[in-house]
Amino acid sequence: MNNSDILVIGAGVAGIEASLLLADTGKKVYLVEKASLTGGNVIKYEDVFSNMECSTCMIAPKQQEVLQSENIELLTLSTVEKVQGEIGDFTVTINKKARYVSLIDCIGCGMCYEPCPVSLKNEFEQNLSEKKAIYVPCPGSLPNVPAIDPEHCLQLNGKKTCNACVEACAFGAINLSDKDEKIEIKVGAIIVASGFDIIDPAGFPQYGYGKYPNVYTAMEAERLYASNGPTEGEITLRKGDAPPKSIAIIQCVGREQQGYCSSVCCMYSLKLAHYLKHKLPDAKIYNFHSDWCMPGKYYQKFHQDVKEEGVDFIYSPVAKIKVEGNDKSLSIEYYNGKNEKEKLSADMVILSLAMMQGKDTASLSKLLGIEQDTKGFFMNQAIQLGSVDTSKPGIFLAGCAEGPKDIQGSITQAEAAVGKVMSYLS
Amino acid sequence: MSDKIGVYVCECGPNIADKVDIKKILAEISALNEPPEKIIIAKKHKLLCSKEGQDFLADEITKNELTHLVIAACSPRDHDITFMNVCKKTDLNPYLYKLVNIREHCAWIIPDKDEATEKAIQYIRAGISRVTYQAPLTEKELDSIPDVLVIGAGIAGIEASLSLAGENRKVYLVEKTSSIGGKVTRFEKILPHQGTNLDIIQEKIQAVQENENIKVFTETEVEKAIGFFGNFEIILKNIHNEEQKNDFKVGAVVVATGFDLTDPEKIPRYGYGKIEDIYTSMEIEESNSKTGKILLKSGKPPKSAALIHCVGREEKGYCSRVCCNYMFKIAQYLKEKIPAIKITEFYQDLCLPNKADQEFFIDTKNKGVDFIRFKDIAVRQKDKEKFIEYTKMDGKKEKISAEMIILAPAIEPAEGSKDIAELLNISLDETGFFQEAHQKLNPVATSIDGVYIIGSAQNPKDISDSIIDAQAVGGKILTQLIPGVKLVPEVTVSEISDAFCTGCQTCLSVCSYGAIYFDEDRNISIVNEAICRGCGNCVASCPSGAAHAKHFTSAQIYQEVLEAIR
Repeated sequence: MNNSDILVIGAGVAGIEASLLLADTGKKVYLVEKASLTGGNVIKYEDVFSNMECSTCMIAPKQQEVLQSENIELLTLSTVEKVQGEIGDFTVTINKKARYVSLIDCIGCGMCYEPCPVSLKNEFEQNLSEKKAIYVPCPGSLPNVPAIDPEHCLQLNGKKTCNACVEACAFGAINLSDKDEKIEIKVGAIIVASGFDIIDPAGFPQYGYGKYPNVYTAMEAERLYASNGPTEGEITLRKGDAPPKSIAIIQCVGREQQGYCSSVCCMYSLKLAHYLKHKLPDAKIYNFHSDWCMPGKYYQKFHQDVKEEGVDFIYSPVAKIKVEGNDKSLSIEYYNGKNEKEKLSADMVILSLAMMQGKDTASLSKLLGIEQDTKGFFMNQAIQLGSVDTSKPGIFLAGCAEGPKDIQGSITQAEAAVGKVMSYLS
Repeated sequence: MSDKIGVYVCECGPNIADKVDIKKILAEISALNEPPEKIIIAKKHKLLCSKEGQDFLADEITKNELTHLVIAACSPRDHDITFMNVCKKTDLNPYLYKLVNIREHCAWIIPDKDEATEKAIQYIRAGISRVTYQAPLTEKELDSIPDVLVIGAGIAGIEASLSLAGENRKVYLVEKTSSIGGKVTRFEKILPHQGTNLDIIQEKIQAVQENENIKVFTETEVEKAIGFFGNFEIILKNIHNEEQKNDFKVGAVVVATGFDLTDPEKIPRYGYGKIEDIYTSMEIEESNSKTGKILLKSGKPPKSAALIHCVGREEKGYCSRVCCNYMFKIAQYLKEKIPAIKITEFYQDLCLPNKADQEFFIDTKNKGVDFIRFKDIAVRQKDKEKFIEYTKMDGKKEKISAEMIILAPAIEPAEGSKDIAELLNISLDETGFFQEAHQKLNPVATSIDGVYIIGSAQNPKDISDSIIDAQAVGGKILTQLIPGVKLVPEVTVSEISDAFCTGCQTCLSVCSYGAIYFDEDRNISIVNEAICRGCGNCVASCPSGAAHAKHFTSAQIYQEVLEAIR
């Protein structure tokens, strides 16, 4: 008999959209997310291009809907471990890591953070800030319930007896004897919305990332601008007392190596330039770009607007750009439109890095039994005709797991995957 | 009958209890008790959202026969739905309850306990004042029709019809030309894999023709579409015979009217229409798919060709997204047919957003096609020779001659988009394409519930993305318009008083949802509650105060504000 329950892997914008639509029909949805919170990458942005709408305001109601839906079982800190069966009848084993904090009893007041004696780098904030061993990645995380890092919690890693958070919780929501669980579920179809990662800038030493403190990735710059970010929206430098007076954004880093255009960097680089002009109106902003990829009908207008704000656009081959300098000041060597070598100095450099397949794509591909394409993303069948089908019936793709795309494209694919699921299972 | 108002303050563990003086709040609120007209019961609880707290509330409502409920706790974002559901379990109408946020608005932001307590008391008084002016509202259920009208039988419309049609769902596919398939059928090959031919498109066309749940109307236009999500009345008319009409009802309408190409004659610098052997990309596609040949007017194969991208991009103000790829495709056609041909592609930006696009570009380049990025470009004729004069990015002016020139004209909204927009009461955006409900989160929907836009009707798109759009509309409709399942429209809608309405029709012009219609006989505006979303535009604009928004009436807001600022 056909099982009409659905597994959605990844609670980013695509996974959320798919889950909500399916749950509306009364179908049971298991939404599996490896992080402790929902919202994927979209919640990291302050605003979205090109209408510059507040990103969290846009996505938070959807995240809230997921939490309130009676038909969605959200499994955070969870990964898929085993998949057996076929369309209409999959058996899936999920590894659900202990959160140590009850999603039901915790009300998200945050009283437990302060007493925790452990301080850690906050990876969600691109290591630009610190967190405790009991933490939410950023203010506004949903579910608004912390998780405990068992490797660093003194009680859990056995280094010391510590009960500080448990004592601080007025709701009895913390349980340090919580255990990892294996959950077996049965579903009829699977939607893979496992998202993307950003290419490691360490692979491009010519741009000085890691060597010079004031070279940032675009995602770091996003978080610096974000009002719920590590600096509460203040544009500061890793090294330096004053805000940057000049900033260079370098686009297309990693494009050549990856063999494709990531399709969203032009627009988010323009957005970053616009952010910076807004916060630091007197700062000089340079944007090193190659061809503009602006496939949306509103995008070119945004490009024009940012240009008029006084951002300096420099067409220059990214492969020949070099960043040098020291802790405090940076110098960018590049070739201008006449193929002449030039130099300019900047206090801050931001790298717009290529998007690549999510880190767990290969392992997911193996356990789901679906193919990857030559670029590493999940392969859709009949690529020339557009499809969310994978090489295995009953498993569908949505969002950047299939290839780089913007939020609109991710949403459309999620809805398309839902369309397929509905046709098969109803 | 007297009001019996229950006021329950949540301690939220220490979150509220430690920061405001709940004892004082309860004392002051209890003092508002004015029996027999107004009886107030004020109590506290340690955590109202917990299972135990919800049971406590339900029990209190029933036991005390409460007529109204006020809860002083957290943000409505957290638990408004929770407490409305508690009401639903009892006999209390959920619209006779009010959540007052004394946590985020008082406890968490005011360090001084006395001040926080004072503010909390004021807020709760405001809540009590408001709740007595609230009216019970009931959800209605509407029957819906699962059938769908699809306008436009291009690739998007075809795919949407195939996604939607089924045993319990009929699709009416309307096409103004004499055949289905749209522009794609005029192509020789499909992007980006050159090996693919059009078989798969032909298969889809055939599947539509063979599907007994899809009714195709060619040479037909939509004359009328009136109604709302779940229930539209449609009248179709034959283009050549106005008398030949069809009428039926559907639950949803999908607009898949596609695109047109900008007429390059309107941009004289390209010489199109004046100079010989200048073609549009579509003309080359058609000639190639019909005759298998790409020839000059003289009947000879061209020795050289210049392919000019971005024709009309500046004028239109957007990039058409697909031209780069199909110009590579045309270059490859030419190279296959005339291996010795010299091809130069002139572009402004190469837009290669799909993961397979860049490979296709490199492949084309490796076949010996030259690429030149230009700032300005014009085509001129001298004697019998055609020259492309261009300014390069470094400011240098150069020119080359070519026997054949192929232009990639910008994609523009299909002719007649404006009429369709008016017919369905949806909007066009500043680019002339149909406007989506939300640029990011709801791209295939429009401001009218039940009316959808897909394919290049929304934004220039390639075949893949048009198909994805079509499947997406399948996802939307298949989950929201289920045969046999009733629709529950918004409850907090607006209402226009017959007695006060002067018939000025201002409300009609501000309603974005087309929810108001005008009754000519009675000279009044009437709200269709099935369409209204309760935005309040009509309320704000009504000069005679005839319109009001349920659950947000002026009296309710006034009474709330009055107490809040006392």
